[in-house]
Order: sequence, then structure tokens, then C-alpha cells
Amino acid sequence: MSAGRRDILLALGFAALLAMVPLVFGTRYIISQITLFFIWGIVVTQWNLVLGVAGIFSLAQMALFAIGAYATAMLAYYGAFPLLAAMPLAALVTVAASLLIGFACLRLKGAYVALLTLAVAQVIYLIVVNDTACFTNPPSGCLPLFGGVRGFSRFGDLGFRDLLGSKFYIGHYYVGLGLLLAAQIFCIILIRGPLGLAFRALRDNPGYAMSRGVGRLRYQLWVFGLSAFFTGLAGAFYAANFGVVGPIVFSVSMLLFLLAMIVVGGMGTVWGPLLGAALLMAADEGLREFGTLREIGLGLVLAIFVILLPRGLSGLRRR
Amino acid sequence: MEIFIQVIASGLTLGAMYAVSTIGLALVYSALNMLNMSQGALLAFGGYVCFYAMETLGLPAPVAMLAAMVVGGGLGLAIYLLVARPMLGSPMFETQIFIATIGIGSVLQSVVLQLFGPQPKAQPLNVPGGVSLGGVVVPWQSLLILTIALAMLAGVAWLLGRTRAGLAIRATAQNRDAAQLMGIRIGQVYAQVLMLSGALAALSGIMVSSLSGLLPTMGADPMLKAFVICVVAGLGNVPGAAIAALLLGLLEAIIQYLFGVQYAFAILLGLVIGVLIWRPYGLFGKRQVVRL
Repeated sequence: MSAGRRDILLALGFAALLAMVPLVFGTRYIISQITLFFIWGIVVTQWNLVLGVAGIFSLAQMALFAIGAYATAMLAYYGAFPLLAAMPLAALVTVAASLLIGFACLRLKGAYVALLTLAVAQVIYLIVVNDTACFTNPPSGCLPLFGGVRGFSRFGDLGFRDLLGSKFYIGHYYVGLGLLLAAQIFCIILIRGPLGLAFRALRDNPGYAMSRGVGRLRYQLWVFGLSAFFTGLAGAFYAANFGVVGPIVFSVSMLLFLLAMIVVGGMGTVWGPLLGAALLMAADEGLREFGTLREIGLGLVLAIFVILLPRGLSGLRRR
Repeated sequence: MEIFIQVIASGLTLGAMYAVSTIGLALVYSALNMLNMSQGALLAFGGYVCFYAMETLGLPAPVAMLAAMVVGGGLGLAIYLLVARPMLGSPMFETQIFIATIGIGSVLQSVVLQLFGPQPKAQPLNVPGGVSLGGVVVPWQSLLILTIALAMLAGVAWLLGRTRAGLAIRATAQNRDAAQLMGIRIGQVYAQVLMLSGALAALSGIMVSSLSGLLPTMGADPMLKAFVICVVAGLGNVPGAAIAALLLGLLEAIIQYLFGVQYAFAILLGLVIGVLIWRPYGLFGKRQVVRL
């Protein structure tokens, strides 16, 4: 059995197990925490494609997530789109934005890419937060075009409230599970397929890869755009799940948290990021009472793992 | 004319402030290929140490600034010993150190938050009043910042250009292996560079906070701007970074005047991306020829 087929079977098996969870543990808290895990899981698997597999040091990934979330909220709020239509549209908007960012940043290499993508993300954040001119005036008060500091709320939901009543969160759980399954299978196919080979070749030896006809800008734009689709979709689902979108999605601690998941699990591996996401979310749950010590712990975990275990937990097996 | 002088004065002040922290970053990158993402936290640390020394201990301003620079240098040394040195030999050093310093930066920033709390504070190092230049009042504070920054830049230029330690730093930056073969202790050079960069960051933090106040997160914005300046100049180009810092400071002041403060950074960044598409290795960077 090929490695790709094994991974896909594994993904289906995990998904089947997770699908049974709501039947066993019914509490709303656990179910919504696992739903959040699905969202972060999608983001880190896609970020890992860019960062670990293709070796592009992009820090704009959270900005793309935010674009997905904001696009959903704005389409639903201003355009009165139903969320089911707004979500895929928002994912396409994210792809377009990622291609634009990629075209500006990916001509550069290594550290330049990291700095420029970080700066682009920061600019998007500043434009959202600093815009104070009222675009519309709903009953709740002045609302700038991009929602300002307050962000968007009350832009509809996925319709599970009518369907399932107070158990609507279970509906969200299955949507999240489905999206994560799709995102992970997409990753497996990409990593194990010919495109993944091209991405890895460009990461490991760009000069040799280019001399064999693998165009750097073209393939890096591919991986950037492809991973942006699910990243945007994750953002869109985040908006639908919580019903609010605010500038908190740009926060540095969120970026740190997700980056730590990838590093702890193992950059560039198929299952590492999801393993890291599960572990760090569980650890975060335990550290919740400690407040600011959480940030210190997170920073230390990130630094210690990079220093002592740069291949992450998945790298342990190969030693 | 009056507005012109005002814009120039505030632009030069901004540029001088950026230049001090930017040359620290550029030095570290040129010597170690290391992007120090904890620079922002070092800035905040410096500002708070100066605040603590003056407000709580009642020390005079020059002593407080010196104390902040010593603490900044110490933190730089600690980052070298604990973070950079263990992974120097790794083939993915550039990526790893980048991620590790993001973590360290978050730790340092949280420590500041724990020690001093989240409320904004005023930096006590503040000179009131101003001097009239062509009908425009330029605050003493700006002139002080400009003077200190220029003195600091001159000091670093002297250190790099005229001393043996500076020669060793430049040699290491140019070619690590050759420098090592010539008997330079590159470990020592790395430690010196990070200490120098930490001290410069602390000083820059004092300047920034004397204008905009102290906050645990105050370093993030100047750090990002310093990085952007480094990228415009060409990463690791130290004199280029100083010139680019002054240029971008002026440009920022002009954009702020013409289009308003909230869009200054966005417009600046648009220009930077334009520059990079035109010259991918920065304004002053050299195109590198890679041998396969």
C-alpha cells in the first residue's frame, strides 16, 4: 500500500472516530472546543504546506484566515448572502488575495519573505482597526466599512439553530469535521503527489530544481494559492461558528499559538501539525487558569522545541 | 515654509530613532544571518528599565540610560548563549532562529507585563520646552533624540571602522569561514554583536517611549518598521540601513502630513513593495550570484 493511500485511510479512520464523539460526550463545552480544534487544524495543515513542505516563510497565513472570516461576514452583512453561499465565495476571495500577496512577496527569498508577509499582515490589521469613518449606521451604532475595532456580528448563521434547536453546536461540529477531513486529504494528495515533489525540491535545492525546469515563482504561487483556499474556508467557518468577527483574529498571540503547533508537531510532515494542534490545545486548556503565564509558557515551548527538537515530535520517530 | 521645517524636524527625529534600532538588527543579520524577532521586546525592556531607574530608584537620567543599555546588552548576550549558540551549526539556522526569537520575544514581553502591568506609563526622561527655528518651535526633546542618535551612529561607525573588534565583526560578516581560518573567534564576535544590538535596542526603546509613552507592546511597531527599513536597504547592509532609516523617517513624516497618520504605514509599505519589485536585494544591496 502506498504511503498516500495509507494516510488517506488513516484520515478516514480518525474522522470516523471523531464522528462518534458527540454521541458519547454530549457536553457543549467539549464539543465546541473540538470544533475549534478543527478550525485551527485546517489552518495549521495549510500553513504547514507553505512553511514546512514548500519552505516559504510566510507569516501572512493568519491574515489570509482573517480575510476569509471578514469576507464571509461582509458578504453576509452587506450583501445579505446566506452563509452557505458566502463561505465558498470568501474562500475564493482569499485565494485572490493570497495570489496578490504572493506576487508581491514571493519574488524575494527566505528572510525577506518572512518580513514582508509580516508587514503586509500588519498593514491589513492597521487598515481594519484605524478606519473610523462610519460606513453604515445600524441601530447598534456607527459601523466602519471593515467593522473597525468592534468587528461584525449578527450576520446570520448556518441554519442549524432552526434544524437542531439548542443542539445546533453539534451541526457545527460535523461541518468542521468535514472541512478538516477535506483539508487533510487535500494535503496528503498534494504532499505525496508530483506537486509536493516539486515544492520540496524547491525548498531543498532551489538552484537544482530551477535548472530542471521547476519555475520557482510559478510553483510557489501555486502552493500559496491552493493553501489559501482552505485557510480562507477555515476563516469563513470561524465566522459562521462564532457569529462574530473582530480584529482579534490578527493578534500576535494567535499567530504564536498556531506557529507553535506546527513546530511542536513537526514542520513539513503529514500528521505533525495536527498532532501539535491537539497537544497544544490540550495543554492550553490546562494552563487557562494561569493568565499571562500562558504566554510565557507558549513562548518557552516554541523556543525550546526549535532549539532541542527542530523536527518536532514527528521527528522523534526517525531518529 | 513653517510646515516644511516642522515636517523635516519630525521626520528626522523619527528617522534617527529608527536608525538606532535598525543598525542593531542589520549588524546581527550581517554577522549571523539571524533575524532577531525579540528586538521589539528588547525595546520595551530598555524603556521600562530607564523608567524604573529614574522613577523608583531616583537615579539621574544618564545613569538610567546606561543601566537600560547594560540590561539590553545582557539580554542580547543571554539570547546568544541560550538560543543562538546551540543551533549555529544547523542547516536550517535562519528559519529556526527566526521562530525561536519569536518565542523569546513573547516571553520577554510577558515578563514586562508581569512586572509593570498593562497600564500605559509616561517616560520620565523628558525635556520640556523648545527652540524657535525660523518661526517654528522645535521641541528640545526632538533635538535631544536627534543628538543622541547621531552620536550613537557615529560611535557605531567608529567601532566598526576603526577598532580591532570592529574589523573582526566586518570580517565575520563578509565570510564566516575565512574569518575563522584567520584566527578570529567568531563565537566572541557573535556575542559582541548581539550585546551591541541589545544595547542599541534599549536606547531606541527609551527614545520611542519618551515620545509615545511606555506600554509592554510598544516595541512591536518600531521593530516592524526597523525590519522594513532593513529590507529596503538590503538585509545586513549597516550603513545602508542608517541612510534608509533617515529617508523613510522623512518619508513617513511627509505622508503623515499629506494623507493622515492612520494610512502612513500602509502607504509606506506599498512604496517598499514597489522598491523591492524593482530591486529585489534592496536599494543598497548587491545582487548575489549563487554558484550551484
